[in-house]
Amino acid sequence: MSNILCSISTRGRYDTTLPLALQAILNQTKLPNKLIIFDDNDEPRDVRGELFYDYFFKICDIKGVKWEWVYAEKKGQHHNHEKANMAGFEWVWRIDDDCIPEPNVLENLYLYTNVNVGAVGGAILTPPINPDTSKCTGKIENIDSEPNIQWSEIKKAKEVEHLHCSFLYRAGVHDYNLGLSRVAHREETLFTYGLYLKGYKSLVVPHATSWHLKNPQGGIRAETNKDMYHRDELIFRNILAYKNKKIVVLNCGMGDHIVFSHVLPEIKNAEVFTCFPEIVAGRSISEAISLFGGIDEWSIYKKMAQWKWTDSLENAFRKMYI
Amino acid sequence: MLLEKCIYKIYMIIISPYSKALRNGKINPKNYPYWKELIALIKEPIIQIGIEGEEQLVPDFRKNLSLTELEMLVDECRTWISCDSFLQHFGWDRKKYGIVLWSVSDPLIFGHPENINLLKDRSNLVQNQFLWWEFTDHDPNKFFNPSLVLECLNANFP
Repeated sequence: MSNILCSISTRGRYDTTLPLALQAILNQTKLPNKLIIFDDNDEPRDVRGELFYDYFFKICDIKGVKWEWVYAEKKGQHHNHEKANMAGFEWVWRIDDDCIPEPNVLENLYLYTNVNVGAVGGAILTPPINPDTSKCTGKIENIDSEPNIQWSEIKKAKEVEHLHCSFLYRAGVHDYNLGLSRVAHREETLFTYGLYLKGYKSLVVPHATSWHLKNPQGGIRAETNKDMYHRDELIFRNILAYKNKKIVVLNCGMGDHIVFSHVLPEIKNAEVFTCFPEIVAGRSISEAISLFGGIDEWSIYKKMAQWKWTDSLENAFRKMYI
Repeated sequence: MLLEKCIYKIYMIIISPYSKALRNGKINPKNYPYWKELIALIKEPIIQIGIEGEEQLVPDFRKNLSLTELEMLVDECRTWISCDSFLQHFGWDRKKYGIVLWSVSDPLIFGHPENINLLKDRSNLVQNQFLWWEFTDHDPNKFFNPSLVLECLNANFP
């Protein structure tokens, strides 16, 4: 039995594309178990009592889709996605608030899930844009030289290394990079590439088209500070530059470093960032933050809590890095 | 002189009484509450290790040792007694095993089976082992009695 959370993060689109996206979710041939809406508006409004939203949530109740409206922290959609990621569901279907999925999208994305799959995406079309993607590889190394494979119709399922915009993903196995700015430029690329690096397949599949009605108002396009984009792009490039290394970040105590030192010989090609270089040699934690933005994804204590860990700390390090 | 050195080398115990100080000023729930009683029962030289600001419990208190200094000291001792802190990992790493006095943290996660792990009752463990210790109150009833620690010391490290 499926266990799917549908997550949507919204800003500045109460009265434009958000209601369309919500309606499209409720019209799916396969419904999610729960819908969570993260309200990231600068001046939030309680739309739950407004006539048409009220109808919408009543229909959710009738259709058996649990729903939750969350007034978010205004730190950017990646923080909201991370909350959804860790909400205890097996799968999360993330949708942008200007993205309108056709009725068969969730059903067809879910058809491709299995134990080896980390994420599944369909076509994300913005008319009239229709690039030739027939030769696209979907590899991260080609991200600057080819259009995104999801920008045109997808004729057959294909393995890729990163996905874009809206997709279904395995929850709780990889973290969103919370070091990105509020615009969260490249957040979904980094996230799905992280799933790929963890050994899961990412797929693009046919018959799962969403219409991306790119709205110049609201969303990340409400941010005009170019420094945010620039910094996020730098983090993205740094992570790509280390793609052949196993990044190790030891932001923990001295004793933890000693325990980790017994695991280090088993890690191939490690690039270590450390608090106690006299115990485990490496570069500084501040350098890790500067290079990669957030380092929470390497917090061994956060991971053990998330895994409800009962085995040894040493084996927790093994699970994280080997 | 040589004989004295040999005797000292064989009969010396290191204690590491305190876990990291908490940011809210409360007593760390992992700190053993009966050190004075335990120390009174041990009839051999004791060296306390720790950092500036911690209460001195024995005449020989060595603060802020470097790793090299600590290595030499650990290699010389008969054994060591510690709460759940850095020393239990350090001694294990040097294959010089000792006694760890547990209360609310889980030795199956944070300990090493090669050490002697004295946990009074697993029902005392906090449910979430990975939160900040600031959220947990110190409770002396959750620790082993000093006379039992001494028995364990003599039985395991004669």
